[in-house]
Amino acid sequence: MEQILANGVYLGSQYAMIALGLTLIFALMNVLNFAHGQMYVIGGFVTYTFYGQWGVPFVLALVMSCVTLAILGALIERFLFAPVIKGSAREESTMLLAAGIAFFLDAVILLVFGEKQRGVPKIVDGVFNYDFRLIMPYDRILICVLAILSIVAFIGLMQYTKTGRALRALAQDRTAAQLMGVNVDRYSMIGFALGAMLAGLVGGLLVTITGVNLGMGGPTSIKAFMMVMIGGAGVISGAIWGGIILGFMEAIGLALLYQYGDITYLLIFVSLMIFLAIRPQGLMGKPWG
Amino acid sequence: MQRRTLMKATLTAVSLIALQATAALAENTVLKIGFVGVTSGPAAAWGISNQRSMETRAAWINETGGYEIGGTTYDIEIVSFDDQKDPKRAIAGMEKMAQEGIHYVVGPNVDDGAAAVRPVAESNGIMYFPYAFPKSLYEAPASNAVLGMVANYQSGPAIYKYLMEDKGVKTVAFIAANESDPLSQRDGGVEAAKALGLEVVSDNVTYQVDTTDFTPVLTPVMRSRPDLLVLSGVSPANAPQLIRSARELGFQGLISTETAQDAGVLAEGAGDLANGFISVGGASTPELASPMMNEFVERYTTMFGEYNDESNTKVYALEYILETLKADPSALTDVGAFQATMDSFEAPNPYMNGDAKLRYVGMSSFGQKRQVAVPLVVNVYQDGAFETLFVAEVD
Amino acid sequence: MMLGFTSKQLVGVGIFLFMIFIGVPLIIGATGRWDFYFTLTSVALLAIASAGVWLTFYIGRINIGQGAFALIGAYVSAILVVKAGWSFWISLPAAGLFAAIVAILIGLPILRLRGVYFAMITLVLTQVVTLTALALPITNGAKGISNIPLPSSISVFGIPILPDFAAMENTKLAFYYTACIIMILTYAALYRLVNSRLGHLCRSMQQNEELASSIGVNISYIRVVIFAISSFFGGLGGAMFGSIAQSVYPSSFQVADSVNFMLNCFLGGLGFVFGPMLGTLVLYFGWDLLFEFGKYQMLIYSTVLIIIIRFLPNGLLSIRFGKGGDK
Repeated sequence: MEQILANGVYLGSQYAMIALGLTLIFALMNVLNFAHGQMYVIGGFVTYTFYGQWGVPFVLALVMSCVTLAILGALIERFLFAPVIKGSAREESTMLLAAGIAFFLDAVILLVFGEKQRGVPKIVDGVFNYDFRLIMPYDRILICVLAILSIVAFIGLMQYTKTGRALRALAQDRTAAQLMGVNVDRYSMIGFALGAMLAGLVGGLLVTITGVNLGMGGPTSIKAFMMVMIGGAGVISGAIWGGIILGFMEAIGLALLYQYGDITYLLIFVSLMIFLAIRPQGLMGKPWG
Repeated sequence: MQRRTLMKATLTAVSLIALQATAALAENTVLKIGFVGVTSGPAAAWGISNQRSMETRAAWINETGGYEIGGTTYDIEIVSFDDQKDPKRAIAGMEKMAQEGIHYVVGPNVDDGAAAVRPVAESNGIMYFPYAFPKSLYEAPASNAVLGMVANYQSGPAIYKYLMEDKGVKTVAFIAANESDPLSQRDGGVEAAKALGLEVVSDNVTYQVDTTDFTPVLTPVMRSRPDLLVLSGVSPANAPQLIRSARELGFQGLISTETAQDAGVLAEGAGDLANGFISVGGASTPELASPMMNEFVERYTTMFGEYNDESNTKVYALEYILETLKADPSALTDVGAFQATMDSFEAPNPYMNGDAKLRYVGMSSFGQKRQVAVPLVVNVYQDGAFETLFVAEVD
Repeated sequence: MMLGFTSKQLVGVGIFLFMIFIGVPLIIGATGRWDFYFTLTSVALLAIASAGVWLTFYIGRINIGQGAFALIGAYVSAILVVKAGWSFWISLPAAGLFAAIVAILIGLPILRLRGVYFAMITLVLTQVVTLTALALPITNGAKGISNIPLPSSISVFGIPILPDFAAMENTKLAFYYTACIIMILTYAALYRLVNSRLGHLCRSMQQNEELASSIGVNISYIRVVIFAISSFFGGLGGAMFGSIAQSVYPSSFQVADSVNFMLNCFLGGLGFVFGPMLGTLVLYFGWDLLFEFGKYQMLIYSTVLIIIIRFLPNGLLSIRFGKGGDK
């Protein structure tokens, strides 16, 4: 039982971080960013290059991941999403752009970083073992704590800074925010950069545990979509809850249903569908997204 | 009107590039060998090591004057098609090979692709060398597929038997990704283990390919306390994470797999925790690798910056094709002749020390010779490199 | 029905039909690019499935679940042919109908969802169907169904209607014609639907469901009917593919395919009935044309895609209106 809880907390905190960036971008611009997973992978590879290859301190490498992705996110918003949103009759068209960017980043990752699975040296050695009832390697505990701290910092940023207030206003009502004097273009870009940065940060954090390879992008995006839907699209607290719930669903589902083997995941997905069908707006979402 | 002009210009540009590519090696007659496999997206690693092995060998042959078959010297050109691990694309790729007049193709890398290209390959007279294990591909009435490596239902029993006798293994657990290839391999492994008298203590735990944390997946398996944990059909990306999680959960037994792995990836992903991990390789260890194998690795590294140990098993398919063509030049255009030659073909294995032979096998598994005799080299990982555990033959 | 067309439209359709049935075979014969038959066959089949996705867009739903119905169709046809010994030609509509029935059952609860929520649940549906195919005994689990026989001949009262594909010298051409005929029937049906009373109702739903409901439109009934038709197309496309590959695996259609079906619609243009056909042609055929670029294929492909959507955010067909008198 202790083990299941610990697994749930660990998975939940990393999932929540992945979902946060995605939901932020969705809240601000109604863009379902298919390239979110690829951004996460790039974040992992940047940290790998700096920390694993060049021996730069881990924290500095993490910062590099954040900076790279923030710049990338800002450029993508400024030169691709903003003009396409302005020019398209139905805003869902941005899905094609997002998918195109996902393909593009996949191609770039393959050309720059290669096809192999990459990993970095452990940041902390050793395993916490409480009487074989609760086993958790120290590096996981550290990453889990760092992830929770980042989430808290992000919430703080959204609640108490001018940027955060502007972003929340934008997410609530774009037109009203504009009328109130919020520079919509500028804050859209900042918001997108922030969302991309979160993806880069979590990629950098997790490379120490799971490593990174170019194939992780697409599946990560899809997992992040699910969390966002569970919690409610475009709601920050929803993304966090969605991540935690999916984390626990996996931890508990695998612990209870493992003997069904091949259908464990089938049951998880089916229950997700039933949940969404019963509560279409997720846990905290605005109905009809 | 403008768009049409643009279209024309693009088409012209494309065909010009294509022409240049072929014109570059026009001294000898060109012999095209195909590759259809996955070289982009999540499973890119499977196909890329394959494609690069072929390109390395082809460049090497061309640099040293070409390859002589029946009195004519050929330059080898590798034509690669990326099927994105999609069986629909794989068919298109095989059609493309037929279009290029190619009769010998390496790939596809996965079960569904290999099954999907069969109609095209058979109707167009193409022999293809998949890296997929379903027996139906190689048993009659199927005629044109040649298994390019050792199948898990062949290597598995050999490994389990060795571990039973030498390490006293009595119980075994299997874990596989929830996908066609790994699940089929797991079922084959379970069958083989049971036939040998091993007790299978867990065989129904699966994981999604995109799993990032294997602790919850492995916890129930660990509770069954097996002597041996088999990672069925594990991809090189997942292997180090699974090993690491199992060891961190306190697992003391042996861990093995029947697919080829890369030592560098294991070192980066699991470090010392991967010590003792058993996998299948080619002639990769120092005592087995011939000077030619070493030169191959060297050339591969120069060409692509970094070697991939998976290529140890993937270097063979092209060599088999060329050697068989040399043995019977009429097979260049006639796969019937190729199939006839396969029954009696034999040549020295240039990549391995000792008197190993290149020949076609598979009588006991498929009832016809539809497999290349890659030496079954079982490796164990130790401190960043592979060591040979034992070598066996497949018949 | 003919009366509804302008002469210009009739000429356009005539040219189009001439091109695919006579022009393409002539061009392929002249250039010797026989491999294009399969690619174009794929385009036709994927365009059928994409037409279904387009139809769900028409009632304002983003559908990322067509891969699920294509997979269902492929399996139903394969099982009927291999295990029950049916003729492929009867299994084909059966596959479509089965997919439609599944769509009705699933659609009743999930069609209440809108926007990204509907998109998401259909995406999960694709995963569910893939995993179900892996787990069920009748689908042969992970081993898939292989060695499916080619379509057999069919005759009514002793008069042969369709030849035996297995006895044919060149099945490529036969599959190409079959796929094109089904595609044309699909798009004719789609065109007819869009310009019918049902089509008008769909458009009103796309604008505003509450409003449509308040003026007496039975929206839940229309939604389910449209989703069933959409999935019928998916089932047809999938079943044909299974027959060409002569094998079906759980991975024959997966999430990536579902996403691609949707992208085809976006690329062609959501406002145009023939958008998905053009979108499929460009997306699928484009990949093959870039074959020469080797390892840069994906990079160039995605760059072109981004440029297209950047400058034509409403789809390729919107170019006609953007440039006014051009063409």
